[in-house]
Amino acid sequence: MLNEILLHFAEWLDAQAWSSGLHESYYMYNWIESTHVLTLMIFLGMLFVIDLRMLGLTMTNVPASKVAARLNIPMMIGFTIMVVTGLLLYYAVPVRTTQSIWFRVKFFLLIAAGINAWLFHRRMNESVATWDNEPVAPKRLRYAAGLSLALWAGVVTTGRLIAYDWYDCYRVNSDLIAWAAGCMAE
Amino acid sequence: MELISFFEWMETSALGQIGKTYGGVYALGQSLHLMSLALLGGTVLVTDLRLLNVLLRDVPSEVVVESTHKWFKVAVSLMIATGIFMAAAVALRMYYNAFFWAKMTALATGIAFVFFVKYPLLQRKHDSINPVVLKSLAVASILLWFSVAATGRWIGFS
Repeated sequence: MLNEILLHFAEWLDAQAWSSGLHESYYMYNWIESTHVLTLMIFLGMLFVIDLRMLGLTMTNVPASKVAARLNIPMMIGFTIMVVTGLLLYYAVPVRTTQSIWFRVKFFLLIAAGINAWLFHRRMNESVATWDNEPVAPKRLRYAAGLSLALWAGVVTTGRLIAYDWYDCYRVNSDLIAWAAGCMAE
Repeated sequence: MELISFFEWMETSALGQIGKTYGGVYALGQSLHLMSLALLGGTVLVTDLRLLNVLLRDVPSEVVVESTHKWFKVAVSLMIATGIFMAAAVALRMYYNAFFWAKMTALATGIAFVFFVKYPLLQRKHDSINPVVLKSLAVASILLWFSVAATGRWIGFS
C-alpha cells in the first residue's frame, strides 16, 4: 500500500516538465549533484571535527561546548544546502530513486542520524558544565559521537551506491530485495 | 617509460583488476574517498575560517592550526590511497580525461602549498604575520581545495 502511494507520487513528479528538464540538463543536473557532494566538505567536515573533539582526538584544549556551538552554524548551512540539492536530485529522477534499495536505506540512516544528533545535543547540554574542559567527553557522549560517525559513513556509502543499478527493479531480484526496494509488478 | 605505459600497467595490475571485478569493493573505495574528502574539507575550512576571523574567534589560531593539521594529513593520505585504487580500475580512461589531469594539478598544488608554504609560515606566532598574508593564505587554501573537490567530481561527468 505504502509502496503504491510512493510510486504514484514519484510518477506524478516524473510527469512534470521540470523534472525531466532537470534530469536532461547536462549542466544543471551535474552542478546540482556537484554541489550536493561538495557540501559534504562543509556539513560532514564540521561534524567530523565536532565528533573527533568529543572522542578526545582533536582540539582537546578547547572546551567541547565551544567547538560544538561554533561549528554548528556552518554545519547547518552545509546541511541545508545538502537537503535542498538532495531534494532536487530526487525530483529529477523520482521513480528510479523511489525504488532504489540504497535510497531507502539512506533515508532510514538519515532519520537515525537525526535522532542520534538530537539525543547527543540534549545529553551534552544537560551535562556539559561538569566536563566541558576535559579532553574527552563522558562515555555516553563518546558512544553517540562514534555512532554519529558510523551512521554518516553509512549515509555517504548508500548515497554513493544509489548510482549503481545492481538491485534496480528491472533486474531479477530475490523476493526480499524486491520487497525492500518497493518493486511493483508491471 | 612513457606515461601511458604506466597507466596501462596500472589497469592490468592486481589493484586495477580488483576494482574492475568487484563492483562492491570499488563502490566502498569511492565512499571512503568521499569521507576522506569531507574530513579534509572540515580541517581546511575550520583552519581557514579561523584565519579569516569567521570561526572560533575566541580560540588562538595557533591551537586550531596545530589541532587540525594532524587530521588534514590523515585525510589527504586516505584520499590519495583510495584515489589510486579508484583510478587504477579505469586508468586508461583517466589518462584521456582532462578533468583528471586538472584534479591532479590542483591536488599537487594544494599539497605543495600546505606543506611548503602555509604550514611552515603558520609555525610562527600568528601575531607576527601580516594579517593580509594570513587572510590571503586562507582564501588561497579554500580555493585550492575547492578546485580539487570540484574537478574530482567532474571526472565522473566527462
